[in-house]
Amino acid sequence: MADKKQVVVLGAGPGGYAAAFQAANLDLEVTLIDPKPDPGGVCLFHGCIPTKALLHLAAVKDEAAKASEWGLTFSGVKVDISKVREWKQSVVKQLTGGLGQLAKARKVQYLQGMAKLTGTHTLEFTSAQGDKSEIAFENLIIATGASPSGLPGVEFSEQVMNAEYALELKDVPAKLLVVGAGYIGLEMSVIYKSLGSDITIVEFTSDILPGLDQDLRDVFKKERKDLMQTTLFNTKVTGVEKKGKGLEVSFEDKDGRTSKQGFDKILVAIGGKPNTRNIGLEAAGIETDDKGFVKVDLVRRTNVKNIYAIGDVAGQPMLAHKASHEGRVAAEHIACHKTAYEPKAIPAVVFTDPEIAWTGLTENEAREKGIKVEVARFPWAASGRAVTLGLKNGLTKLIIDPETDRILGAGFVGKEAGSMVAEATLAIEMAAVARDLELTIHPHPTLSETLMEAAEVYFGHATHIHKKKKK
Amino acid sequence: MIKEIKLPEIADNVTAAVVLDVLVSVGDKVGPDDVLAEMESDKASFELPAEVEGVVKEIRVSTGKSVKVGEVMFLIDTEASADAGAQAQEATAPEEKSAREDKKQEEEKPEKQEPAGQDEPARAEQPAVSAPVVVSGEVSDKPASHIHASPAVRRLAREIGVDLTLVKGSGPNDKVLEADVKAWAKQQLQSRPASGATFADDYELPDFSKLGSIRREKMDTIRKITAKSLAGSWQNIPHVFQFDKADITELENFRKEYSRFVEKQGAKLTVTAILLKLSATALRKFPKFNASLDMKNEEVIYKDFVNIGVAVDTDRGLLVPVIRDADKKSITELSLELNELAEKARTKKIRPDDLQGANFTISNLGGIGGTHFTPIVNRPTVAILGVSRSQMEPVWMDGEFKPRLMLPLSLSYDHRLIDGADGARFLRWLCDAMQNPLLTMF
Repeated sequence: MADKKQVVVLGAGPGGYAAAFQAANLDLEVTLIDPKPDPGGVCLFHGCIPTKALLHLAAVKDEAAKASEWGLTFSGVKVDISKVREWKQSVVKQLTGGLGQLAKARKVQYLQGMAKLTGTHTLEFTSAQGDKSEIAFENLIIATGASPSGLPGVEFSEQVMNAEYALELKDVPAKLLVVGAGYIGLEMSVIYKSLGSDITIVEFTSDILPGLDQDLRDVFKKERKDLMQTTLFNTKVTGVEKKGKGLEVSFEDKDGRTSKQGFDKILVAIGGKPNTRNIGLEAAGIETDDKGFVKVDLVRRTNVKNIYAIGDVAGQPMLAHKASHEGRVAAEHIACHKTAYEPKAIPAVVFTDPEIAWTGLTENEAREKGIKVEVARFPWAASGRAVTLGLKNGLTKLIIDPETDRILGAGFVGKEAGSMVAEATLAIEMAAVARDLELTIHPHPTLSETLMEAAEVYFGHATHIHKKKKK
Repeated sequence: MIKEIKLPEIADNVTAAVVLDVLVSVGDKVGPDDVLAEMESDKASFELPAEVEGVVKEIRVSTGKSVKVGEVMFLIDTEASADAGAQAQEATAPEEKSAREDKKQEEEKPEKQEPAGQDEPARAEQPAVSAPVVVSGEVSDKPASHIHASPAVRRLAREIGVDLTLVKGSGPNDKVLEADVKAWAKQQLQSRPASGATFADDYELPDFSKLGSIRREKMDTIRKITAKSLAGSWQNIPHVFQFDKADITELENFRKEYSRFVEKQGAKLTVTAILLKLSATALRKFPKFNASLDMKNEEVIYKDFVNIGVAVDTDRGLLVPVIRDADKKSITELSLELNELAEKARTKKIRPDDLQGANFTISNLGGIGGTHFTPIVNRPTVAILGVSRSQMEPVWMDGEFKPRLMLPLSLSYDHRLIDGADGARFLRWLCDAMQNPLLTMF
């Protein structure tokens, strides 16, 4: 048997490569295994990064169209889908290639291929060329991610797409059905709408982004009437049949009423399931929970003491930045640092136009759990910056513990929400109180001021909103 | 009116106590002297009285919980009748309670969809365990994200082994700052050098179960404290042991004859009581034995009071109640007090205060037997007297052997402060004084 490798990371997504790089930074000898030629995983190859590139494009196009209201008219806007595809590809290549370089610079051994556990200290590795070999390791970090769930009995294809297919941008379907109004469904809807498709969204629950606070949803729905008008809530897809070149989809609403509609393509975005099968967890005796997630402790260690699991495979929320953080914790623990995964808040962002972002405690969660909170809202109509950007709707809200004034959560909807949520997350992690946000000078005129002003609202005296004083 | 019953200041250096048993239920009617809970601190077990008359409205503690000084343990409604109290509880308390529970859970769970099978979320509103956390020990395996501290401070605490639930924050809203963590760690290291660290030692035990069947039992608080403090004393104090024998033939005759004076008051005249009195006088004569060492400031602290601890064997282990101002009390008073304290120690009624502040200790094992033994000086005292069993011995007197009742005495002392000659003189003086109590008049 070959020498034992000190640390093997299985999967090179944002969790896996962050773990590998951190382990290398801590002077551990690291091997990173992934089927792709470079690190990046779903996030970079067909997730966060390509969608954001395309969403940027959509935003430019939509903004250009809106600009006519402000006296700036562009004519002859055209979508050249093959060029769009090329550009998206170049973004992915640049970033993943960059990660490949970073791996080399850190002397991380990168093995392209697949691997499967054969015991608590061994893997069977199958290279991209199909050669099999055994790899022995001292420590393993499982970062195999998750795969999109499909409709029962319907395989993913170019016509019934998951996000990966949709991002290949083979063509722009005239009529696209998006199944699921979660963040992927909404982001893809915005992209394809902008590219020229007619979008119908079908959602099993009663609203977009299940669990999100209603006030944030309301702003989005007001802004995106174009998408919402054709959205079917409380409805499920009961069948998909090929009909000519297109597809005929059967729906059933909550009252049992059925209907059928024809579409050119379908995008299914109804969540994901952890990739815990076919990686030999049984061989090492690693335990999973009833949803298939690997069970881990505070340092992301499984029940097998030299094997860790991070990211989507180790539990909700399935977010890249949560995976990276966990990856670093696991690497640090292997390097014998005293560390723990103990975030106070994990930000979540939907990169639609307008963007929706939240962090920490939500108002819904507070209500469900009976936590007493006070909510301070600052509508963007009162923000100078929002008006200069031509934004009509937008909202910044803070969820505050009325006893201690501590910031427990925050929510944003509007342009740059995804960037602003970072400040709120820092505030929560730093155990900031409303006064801290209120007393921090924010640059004028920016949207970031809305956070400061929301804190002012909490105390009842915002500069740009007149409201009766508290108590 | 609702009266909050908090954990009172028990004694110096005692910041928390563990609930041994809660003796009341919500809705119970209590009087000022009724006991709400049995508690155990580092120093002793004691009872928490209700202080007021009323109805127990809420119980915020449970058996096994550690409670900080000042923390509210019970709410007592001083106006409600027993029935009304019970109803009020039914109507409001469950709701309040569940809200609080939920809030706790919320604060503690970093993410609500954590996979099952994780560690229980930390229930660290109160420190989870009774034993104070040792700096550089292992911090709990539970997330500290609910604590009012920034990520960098949480990481620092984890790295240097500080349990953040025990650190009081100095920032706004009691936020725990980096400086607080460092100060806390420093204080811990200074207040207990070597004790915890060394005796939670890394000695690898052999697998006794291979040799035969075994049974493991948790150490109780007294055992843990005894182990730590004695180990600390043993490691830090260079001990010298001085042995001597006192001729107590006459004293014993006297004791037997005059015991009735004391018995009239309800106690017995014992050798220990007499030794207490004589030791008190000796401590006055030899003030170094009544002193303490301040090595940090390189000073000797002389005390103008004479408090003497007497080791008592209880079924829970060794306890050392303290007789205050022993030099100012008569032998009868000392006998009575000794009797009372020993009884309290054995029936768990002793208060932590009763176990604090000894300048010197007497340990009498004479009732059991033995010739000499070497007791360990208990910091911050500098000497301890060990008493063994008296025996008739042939003593060469006036040209012949005479049967004399001899009492073996051992003196252990801290050589940093007390030199050998002083030690010998002190013990010799005690022996002489027992032989001829008139000496104490000089």
